[in-house]
Amino acid sequence: MNQDVSKSVPVQKSADIPLSVQGVSKYYGEFKALDKVEFNLEKGEIFGLLGPNGAGKTTLISAIVDLEKASSGDIFVFGEKVGRGLQTKRDIGFVPQEVINHGYFNVEEILTFHSGFYGIRNNKKRIEELLQRLALWEHKNKKVKQLSGGMKRRLMIAKALVHTPKLFLLDEPTAGVDIELRNSLWEFVVELKNQGTTVLLTTHYLEEAQELCDRVGILRNGVLEKMGHTKDLIDELSNRKLVIDLNGKAPSGFSHPCLEKQEKLEGVDGDRLVFKLPKGTEMGSIINSLGFSLDSIKDIQTEEGTLEEVFLSVLNS
Amino acid sequence: MLMPRVAFWTYLAKEIKRYLKVMNQTVLTPVVNTSLYLLIFGVSMGENIQLSSGVSYLAFLIPGLVMMACLNNAFQNSSSSLISGKFSGDLEDLKIVPIHSLEILWALCIGGLTRGLMVSSVTFLVGQTFHYLTAGSFIPLHQPLLLIYFLIIGGLSFALLGISVAFWAQNFDQLSAVGAFVLTPLIFLGGVFYSIENLAPFWQKITVINPLLYLINGVRYGIIGVSDVPLSMAFLVSFLGFVFFFSIAYVSLKKSSYKRW
Repeated sequence: MNQDVSKSVPVQKSADIPLSVQGVSKYYGEFKALDKVEFNLEKGEIFGLLGPNGAGKTTLISAIVDLEKASSGDIFVFGEKVGRGLQTKRDIGFVPQEVINHGYFNVEEILTFHSGFYGIRNNKKRIEELLQRLALWEHKNKKVKQLSGGMKRRLMIAKALVHTPKLFLLDEPTAGVDIELRNSLWEFVVELKNQGTTVLLTTHYLEEAQELCDRVGILRNGVLEKMGHTKDLIDELSNRKLVIDLNGKAPSGFSHPCLEKQEKLEGVDGDRLVFKLPKGTEMGSIINSLGFSLDSIKDIQTEEGTLEEVFLSVLNS
Repeated sequence: MLMPRVAFWTYLAKEIKRYLKVMNQTVLTPVVNTSLYLLIFGVSMGENIQLSSGVSYLAFLIPGLVMMACLNNAFQNSSSSLISGKFSGDLEDLKIVPIHSLEILWALCIGGLTRGLMVSSVTFLVGQTFHYLTAGSFIPLHQPLLLIYFLIIGGLSFALLGISVAFWAQNFDQLSAVGAFVLTPLIFLGGVFYSIENLAPFWQKITVINPLLYLINGVRYGIIGVSDVPLSMAFLVSFLGFVFFFSIAYVSLKKSSYKRW
């Protein structure tokens, strides 16, 4: 079920809840970057946090990883409060939006030091596994500045995973990354989900978010406007489309009296008619109402609604 | 935190490895600089300078330069580590990983101290070589334990100061301003090159409020057994200075932003 988050979301701080954000607000002086954001993540899901630039996505992730202090509200990671003790940090793996340079150290040294920060003295096996999986093994002796943009991104991901976190946060991991690498990164994210890791990510690629995310939340001006299962939101806030291609035997264009009465008609392009199909509308009723004989119809297609429509509908509401 | 954990040792190792990777810049350059001071002031001009304590000017100068090398390098190590971390984003990692503030603090200041000790040890060896070449003998250490105490407490204090300044600084300019307008004058006017007994009474009164005078004379006493200030005062000032700098650095670490520039 999707949730209209203008109503209060029941929040929990159980050890079974990977992430519980409870009424989190963040101010920078007078500017309100986050406004009473509330939601929970479910174990093993991929959650997409969407929103235009400046909506507050990075601020929220920064508060979850304790890089920023929330002005009010609480965040719990597996029942532990963020900012109190170090346990939440052990449970989280975080891929920041911007690549970290790490100066003079090579890839292997960076991952070894990062493992040490999580208390893992000898982590060679895991590091090798990650380097192999992320195609960085041949580059393990290179410094960050010697890596390509895609390799740097993969290194950031490897770094966030050295301690096998239970909650994996990615802040726009595919920004400025080519399509091939984007696809392989998303494949890897699905692999992590299948291993039981809970994933929260932000992205501007809505088509990919639609494919990947079990649930999404849409932030606008620091307010979590809408949240729910991706498919439910698409059903609720977008329209399926019915596309009918005529073969020239039937009259076409808006001048046809049958079409003038069609409220659901979205557009006419030559012999192509495009209809909106709001939830509950039967395709047959539209076709019947046109009064065309079947031999005048060349092709009929339906197109599903998209997350992009949902996104625009929420932002424009 | 009762016992240092793996995270502490990791960060300390990272700090040490960081400056060892650029030895030319972090160790050899300061050694060349202090060697030039020894050559110009100690060997060349020192023969014409008479001190009432009876020691040669070169022997008087070596402890000052040893302490100067320790303080400068300890400060530079911790401050440059944090500033470059702010620039590259490395510092954000420290906020995200499960490491205690005290572990960060100790790793940074011990890292700075090790660099300070390394440069000051090489400076001392170079000084001894110059002394041997000019006087035909090495300087016997007067009180090695006192020497070690003052080097350690001075190095730790300046590394802590470097942490505070680096967290406070908003850019490289502010960091170098602190070095140029505060630390260098304090070190140079703290008795590295001269004894305060050679100063006019007014300047003597000004100089005794410089805390570095006590650290430098502590080291001088440890090496050649001569000090311009009572040793008890040197102990007290160095200890209070350490507590003060530790508190400031801890507050900076807890309250400051780790976000990248």
